[in-house]
Amino acid sequence: MPNIPPDFAPEELRCRIEIDRLRKIFLAQGREVLAVDDASFRINDGEFVALLGPSGCGKSTILNMVATLITPNGGDIRVDDSVVVPGRPIRNVGYVFQKDTLFPWRTVEGNIGYALELTGVPTEERKTRVAEAIHQAGLDGFGRFYPASLSGGMRQRVSLMRTLIARPEILLMDEPFGALDTHTKLDMHSVLLSLWERERQTVLFVTHDLGEALTLADRIILMSARPGRVKADFKVDFARPRDAVKLRETPQYAELFSKVWHSLGEEFAKGSSPT
Amino acid sequence: MTLFWQVAIGLGALAIWEWGWDLHAQVPWLVPDILDPYFVSKPSEIFKQFLRMGCLVSPRGEWTLGTPGAFEKCIGRSENNLWIATYFTLKNTLWGFATGVSSGFVLGLLLGRSDRLSEIFYPYITAFNSIPRIALAPIIILAFGIGDASKIVTAWLVVVFLVFFNTFEGARAVDRDHINAARLLGAGEWQVTRTVIVPSTMAWLFASLTPAVSFSLIGVIVGEFIGAEHGIGRMIIEAEARGEAAGMMVAVFVLMIVGVILATIVRHIQAYLLRWRPASTMAT
Repeated sequence: MPNIPPDFAPEELRCRIEIDRLRKIFLAQGREVLAVDDASFRINDGEFVALLGPSGCGKSTILNMVATLITPNGGDIRVDDSVVVPGRPIRNVGYVFQKDTLFPWRTVEGNIGYALELTGVPTEERKTRVAEAIHQAGLDGFGRFYPASLSGGMRQRVSLMRTLIARPEILLMDEPFGALDTHTKLDMHSVLLSLWERERQTVLFVTHDLGEALTLADRIILMSARPGRVKADFKVDFARPRDAVKLRETPQYAELFSKVWHSLGEEFAKGSSPT
Repeated sequence: MTLFWQVAIGLGALAIWEWGWDLHAQVPWLVPDILDPYFVSKPSEIFKQFLRMGCLVSPRGEWTLGTPGAFEKCIGRSENNLWIATYFTLKNTLWGFATGVSSGFVLGLLLGRSDRLSEIFYPYITAFNSIPRIALAPIIILAFGIGDASKIVTAWLVVVFLVFFNTFEGARAVDRDHINAARLLGAGEWQVTRTVIVPSTMAWLFASLTPAVSFSLIGVIVGEFIGAEHGIGRMIIEAEARGEAAGMMVAVFVLMIVGVILATIVRHIQAYLLRWRPASTMAT
């Protein structure tokens, strides 16, 4: 790796995700649409990176290519120095969907414990870990409920814990709170911050919400309107642990907000104009 | 209020059945010929016949339950009394149901999840499905004899297609995102099948259980019509041969009871298995 300052331990800058000249072309009504064009960036160990951009800029596409759900048309993705093969999910990588993908036939406990069942974790240990996860997510008392009887925010908490219980070192999140109302969203930010500040997973978090990106991330990678390219890279160096609500009242927040907002605004304008 | 109307309609219908024919002599244009007791008997007659056939009353007209041994004696006298007949019909219905549901589910799952298999078998399934299943009953009796096997096969044949089509649709409708979620949580191919495809297809299977049990009963009865030693269907045919409308009506009445009980049980099982569905009330 180039330009490592000598006072940094090499582990601290270990690259976990590397995206190299990634391209994706979609077929839409017989026409080829370039969704992602020549996107490159790298994410170091323990970094919380928000991938921010207007709707349709290909940010989710990039995430889904990292998650092996979509096959790229060009470029490479490396996770922990090994090349990602489409259709073959990587261990250690957790994924949180925007859509509700909880298994409706399983209870909250059953959903959260799913990954542990797959790997054959003994029942006793599983129960303990599930109970702990339920507590961490503030879902005490709801263990035996089915997803259908939970609110959207509660379902998303279950989703989050279902992924986190396997203790993935890398987390991919596709606008996980995009469908929630503002209040529930802030609530989820607090939950996620407290969980993440304890475990410090490497996170790639896709969002179109600048406030969300500033609240959560260490770094914001700003994407351009379609075709998606990396436009800018902002450092978000607010102190941690952060308070999702109070942070928004600080002058540093306002300053960085307007800086990124200006840059993002240009892309929104481009994205909404006819091409 | 609903209950009032339900009781009123029931009693009204029974009253017309019981006494309607008596009016025939006075106002023939009002009373249809179908009410002739020779064809449809009368509720009071049917009830008496039910007591006799069920061995609750001896042929001499005495209550059997009061005298020790009388009930057993009456049961032993006939080879196809109401109890034995109900037992055989019920047993074969449940076997037909169980075999039909399990094989229909497996077939539906296999073909639903494999485009190749479903393409290959498509014309055969369409062809077999267009045969009215009941038309095969005589052939099945010929092949499997007049014992229980032929009834079970007939019932199976009726049930298996119903369950197959439901399962097939269900297996195709498995949510892609659920499969992806399972994969990303570390599930292998077999684990995806076991923990996502099977349970989500089950929901469709369960929806077909109530009709399946009714269909199974139909299959068994038709089989018994054509050739059987025991069973309620056989009782109907026997009573018909003797021109006993009351006997046929008793058998039909018992079938109705059996059908209602089976459907109720299955509906409860189904409601329990599908308790996670949004329609159901809050869990716990």
